[in-house]
Order: sequence, then C-alpha cells, then structure tokens
Amino acid sequence: MIRFDGVSLGYGDRTIVRDIDIEVPDGQTIVILGDSGSGKSTILKGVLGILKPQAGRILVDGSDVGELDEEGLLAYRQRIGMVFQEGALFDSHTVGENIGFWLWEHTDWPDEKIEDRVRTLLRFVGLEEVIDKMPDELSGGMKRRVAIARAMAPQDPLVMLYDEPTTGLDPFTSSTICDLIRHVQSEFKAMSLVVTHDIHDAFRLGDLFMFIHESRVVLTGTRKEIEQSNEPFVKAFISI
Amino acid sequence: MNIIETYFADLFRTSGFFTMMVLRAFRYMITRFRTRETLVQMDRIGVGSIPIVFLASIFAGLDMALQFESVMAPYGAKAILGKVVATSIIRDLGPVLASLVMSARVTSGIASEIGMMNVTQQVEALRVMGVDPIDRLVAPRMFAGFVMNPILSVAGDFLGLLSGLWIAFLVGKVPAPQYWAGVREALTGENMANGLIKPFVFGFILTSVGCYYGMRTSGGAYDVGRSTNKAVVASAVWILIANFLISKLLLDVLGFTL
Repeated sequence: MIRFDGVSLGYGDRTIVRDIDIEVPDGQTIVILGDSGSGKSTILKGVLGILKPQAGRILVDGSDVGELDEEGLLAYRQRIGMVFQEGALFDSHTVGENIGFWLWEHTDWPDEKIEDRVRTLLRFVGLEEVIDKMPDELSGGMKRRVAIARAMAPQDPLVMLYDEPTTGLDPFTSSTICDLIRHVQSEFKAMSLVVTHDIHDAFRLGDLFMFIHESRVVLTGTRKEIEQSNEPFVKAFISI
Repeated sequence: MNIIETYFADLFRTSGFFTMMVLRAFRYMITRFRTRETLVQMDRIGVGSIPIVFLASIFAGLDMALQFESVMAPYGAKAILGKVVATSIIRDLGPVLASLVMSARVTSGIASEIGMMNVTQQVEALRVMGVDPIDRLVAPRMFAGFVMNPILSVAGDFLGLLSGLWIAFLVGKVPAPQYWAGVREALTGENMANGLIKPFVFGFILTSVGCYYGMRTSGGAYDVGRSTNKAVVASAVWILIANFLISKLLLDVLGFTL
C-alpha cells in the first residue's frame, strides 16, 4: 500500500504540490492528472525518495520513504520500477545492456544469468529480437517497452511509476503501451502510479484518479466519481 | 546591491558544486575504481585525441624552430637552437598546446555528452537505479584525463622536437648531432618536472570542467550547446591561468631555473 499523509513537495523554499492525502491499495493503479507544471512528476520524485517531503509522510509498504538513509533508499528502489517520459535509455548502451544495467551494477550474477533475465524481460515486452540494437535504432513505442523491461530488471516490482508513458506516441502505439502496463500490473500485482495528461489513457489504465490543479489536489476518486464531479477543472479536463 | 549579492551567491553555489563533485570523484577513484569504464574513457579521451594533438605538436615544433632560427641566425647563435626549441616546447608550449587542443575536443565532448544525458533524464535514471552519476560518469573521465594528458603531452613534445630538427637541419643548416646535444642540455630535471606537472593539472582541468558543465545542464538542445560552449571557454581560460600560476610557483617559490 502507498499512503500519502498530508504530503507537500517542492524544491528549496518553493512548494510545487501541497497537502496530498491518498491511499493506494495493493495491486491498484492510480493515475495522476493535471495540467503541465502542476507537479505531477514531482509526486513520482517523492515516491522515489529523490525529493524529501517538505511536510507529511510518504509510506510505501510500511516504510517512510523520507526517513530512509542512502542504503535504505538503494534497497527500497530495487523494488520500485520507474519508466521515464521518453524512456531515458542509456544511448551509449545496447538494449540488452540497458536492461541488465542494474544487475551488473548491484549484483555479482554471472553474465549468463543476467542475459537470461534480460531475455526473459524482453520476451515479456515482446521485443527479444532487439537485444543487441542501440536505443536510437528503436521506434518511440519500442523504447517505452524496453524502458518498462528495464524498470522490472531488479526483481518483480512492488511499485511501478510511469511518467507520461504514452506522450508523443500514435494512438495505436499508445494503446499497446497501455495494454503492456495493464499486463505488468496483472502479472506482478504491483501498485502503479501513472502520470499523464491524456484522459483516454488514464481511463484505460486507472482504478483511482487524482487531479492536481494549481499545486493542490482538487479531486481524488474512481472513474464514476470523476465523471459525476462538479469540480470545474475536472469537468473541463475530462470533456477535452 | 542585489546584483552583487546574486553574483556572489552564484559564485559560492558554483564553487561549492564543483568542489563537492571533484571531492566525490576522488573518493570514488580510490574506493570504487571502475576499470572497464575508465579504460573506455582513456581510449576515447587519450587514444582518440592522438591525431589532433600530434598534428598540432608537429606544426608547433616546425614553427618554433623556424622563428627561433630567424631570430638567432643574425647573432650566430644557431648552435643553441636545439636547446631553445626544446626548452620552450618542454616547459610551456607542449603541455599548453596539447591541453588546449584536447580541451577543444575532450571538454566539449564530455560537456555535451553528460549534458545530453541530463536533459534526456539518463542521469536521473542512473540515480533511480542507485548509481551515483559522479561515480559512473565523472570519476572515470577525470582519471582518464589525469593519465592520458601527460602521456599525450610528452609524446607531442617529442614530435615537436623532431619536427624542429627538420627545420633546424633544412633551413638553419644546424647538424643533427648539434641540435640533439642542445635538446639533451634542455632535458634537465627541472624542465622535465615542469613539463610533467603541467599536463597533469591541465588533464584535471579539461575533464573536470567538462563534467561540471555537463552535470549542470538542464533544458534542451540549446542549453546543451550553451553548456558545451561555456565549458570549452572556461577550460581554455583555466588552463592558461594554471599555466602561469604553475610557472610562477616553480620559478619563484621552488626556485626552478632555466
């Protein structure tokens, strides 16, 4: 379970998003929606422990992320998979090296075992044939799929974080990525936080929805609650 | 007043970040040396720079010999042409020229590569995967600069002296044994120390400045370009400043002589 207890996040004295109170039950997906610059991605940084809350606590599976030291964060992040907006694949490494990166860095597994794990993950995302390709040889959708595989490399993830996973993709590829995200969730029963500004993808992916506007959470709820909401920002957002 | 405050605040922030980056890089070089990554960087930074450094050194040697020959000939001092050319190349011109050429190639490459990694979130991805970018990106590059710049500089000096001999022999009619005798006279411990300390320090400057500007890059392609530009300018300026300071230190404080 992920719980935000009165969390405010920001940089230095500047607060980007404030007073977040929400609980994400195990195995569910929460989609964070809002306009650009509203602090959606900042929430992911809080969950990752890159940003310490200015106020409140972020509890993931019972651990207070803000209280973890460097060692604790390293162990914690092994169970968190992060998929960056454009994939953020290391462009000087092959696809296989990208996926195996964490394992080479943090384990003493032999190369054959790492390659097995890499192939298993690539099979899972349907891209085993690209193991030796460089990231710039892949399409946008393929990069996202590789990024999802890389995020799952350490072990079966407890939480998956997706930062705008379908931005810049055509509708067909977006749909493929959404299916893959659902597949990851059903396979690993991982909690997922998805940041997006695309309401159609949000409805495809989410169990819960959180709308952020002008640094504040304006509404949290299920799809039905969202659709019945009279909150002007939410009404405007879902009618687009 | 506000402008001055902002300037000093920026200056402290900048020096603080740079100092922390360098100290952490040194710590990683000692505690967690990355052999594979360092060898890759030594190849890219050092081996990759061989053609341009050697070319610059050869032409510098040719030009030095030509200029000194034309100045010394009227005074009948061509006998010491080898010593004069060797002294200027070993003490100053060799290390500075090699490092400036390296700076144009290496500092710009490092700043743009790390800068691009920053703006495409690859640096953040490293952090998320529990890898300190200073450990993975900065320390191997700095170590490679330390090692490869002196090696290239010494090799460049040798080529500069060889090309100087060619001009001395063809234009100045200085016999090769006389030229080499002069070169040997210039190979004093003090001159050689001078020629080795400088490229070592310059190697540190050209890699650390590139890493610093790369790590501080944010935004997009335009910002990567700006960072790269700033890195090359800063690196060249700091190499020239450091060259003067080291010369001053060696001559005045440690009493090195010609």
